[in-house]
Amino acid sequence: MASQTVKRAIKEVKPILSLDREEARLRVLNLYKAWFRQIPYIVKQYDIPRNEEQCRRKLREEFTKYDNIPDIRVIDMLVIKGQMELKEIVNVWKQKGHVMTYFKDTIEPKPQDFLSKFLNGKE
Amino acid sequence: MNIVHHYSTHFHWFQLETSRKENSRVTLRLVCRNAVRSLTAEVQEVPKETRPTVRKSNAIARGQLKDFGKYAAECLPKYVQKVQITAGDELELLIVPEGVVPVLQFLKDNHNAQFANLVDIAGMDVPNRPYRFEIIYNLLSLRYNSRIRVKTYTDELTPIESCNDIYKAANWYEREIWDMYGVFFSNHPDLRRILTDYGFEGHPFRKDFPLSGYVEVRYDDEKKRVVVEPLELAQEFRKFDLSAPWEQFPNFRRALPASETVETEEKKK
Repeated sequence: MASQTVKRAIKEVKPILSLDREEARLRVLNLYKAWFRQIPYIVKQYDIPRNEEQCRRKLREEFTKYDNIPDIRVIDMLVIKGQMELKEIVNVWKQKGHVMTYFKDTIEPKPQDFLSKFLNGKE
Repeated sequence: MNIVHHYSTHFHWFQLETSRKENSRVTLRLVCRNAVRSLTAEVQEVPKETRPTVRKSNAIARGQLKDFGKYAAECLPKYVQKVQITAGDELELLIVPEGVVPVLQFLKDNHNAQFANLVDIAGMDVPNRPYRFEIIYNLLSLRYNSRIRVKTYTDELTPIESCNDIYKAANWYEREIWDMYGVFFSNHPDLRRILTDYGFEGHPFRKDFPLSGYVEVRYDDEKKRVVVEPLELAQEFRKFDLSAPWEQFPNFRRALPASETVETEEKKK
C-alpha cells in the first residue's frame, strides 16, 4: 500500500540566482522597473510608431504572460533572458524591426468562427 | 646498365667453370644455398595484418594515459567519477558538474599535467537522459604534447560554473554553449548571444528545436522594415519512419562504449 501512494519527491537542486520566492519576486520587480524606466528612451531612440503608454501596456502584457510559474529557477532564467534583452535595447544592438516584433503588428489573428474560416479557405 | 650486365655474365661464367671442375664444391654450394633460403624465409615472417585500414593502438602511449588518468582520479577523488580511454587512445575524465573549476585548475596548474591550453568547449544534447546536456572541455598540454577531455553534465536549469578565470579562451566558447544549448554559466563576465540574431527565439542545437525554427523573417514593403512572424508551414509536419524492420547494424544498437575504463583506487575498495 505504501508503495502505491504518490511520493512527493523533493529534488535538491542548485539555484541559479534566487534562494527563495521572495528573492525571485524582487528580481522580477527590479527588471520590470528597469524596463519601465527605459521606455521613454526606447520610444525616442528607435522611432517606433507607438507612444509611451502603448509601450507600457505591452511591457505589462509581456510580464503577465508568465505570471504563475511555480519553479524559482524558471523565473530566474526568464529574468536573465529579460535582462539580456534589455541590454540589447539599451545599447541599441537591436533595431527597429526587433523592437516592433513585440507588438506583432503584421500578424493577422487566426480565424476563430466558421464563417471567417470558410472565407479564408481553411476547412 | 652495361656495367651491371657485364659483371653478372662474368659471375655466371665463373660459376660454371668451378662446377665442372669439382663436384664436391657443387654440393657444398647447394647446401649453402638451401641454408640461405631457409634463413631468409624466417626473417620474412611478419604477423599478418587483418585490418590494415584501422589505426593501430599505441600500447605505450595508452599506458601513459592510463597512469595519468589514475593519478588525476587519486588527486581529485571527490570530483572524478570515471576515467576512460576511447578507441582512438584519448583520455577522458568524467566529472560532476560542481567540479569543473577545481578539476580544470588542477589540470592547468599541476606540474605533471600543465594542460595550459583550452582547445574547445563542446556541448551535446541527449534528451532522454535525466541530465540532458553534456559539456565537454578539450585541453591540450604543450609541455607534454598530450591531450585530455573533461566531460560533465547538466540540464536546462542547472548552472555550470564558468571557467573564464582559469582559461580566458572560455569566454566565447561558453557564450556559444549558452546561445546554442541554453546552458547557463554562472560568474561569466559577459554572457550574451554570440551566433544568433537579436530577437532570435530558442536554442538551435537542442534536439527539440525544429529544423525550420520558430519564426520567419521577411522584408515588409508596406512597413518598410524587416518583420518577424511565427512560422507557418504549408504542409503539416510529417513523421517519417526511417527504421527498417530488420536491423542493418546490430553491433551499433547503442552508442559505442569507451574502449577501456581505467580502474581507479576508489573502485577497487
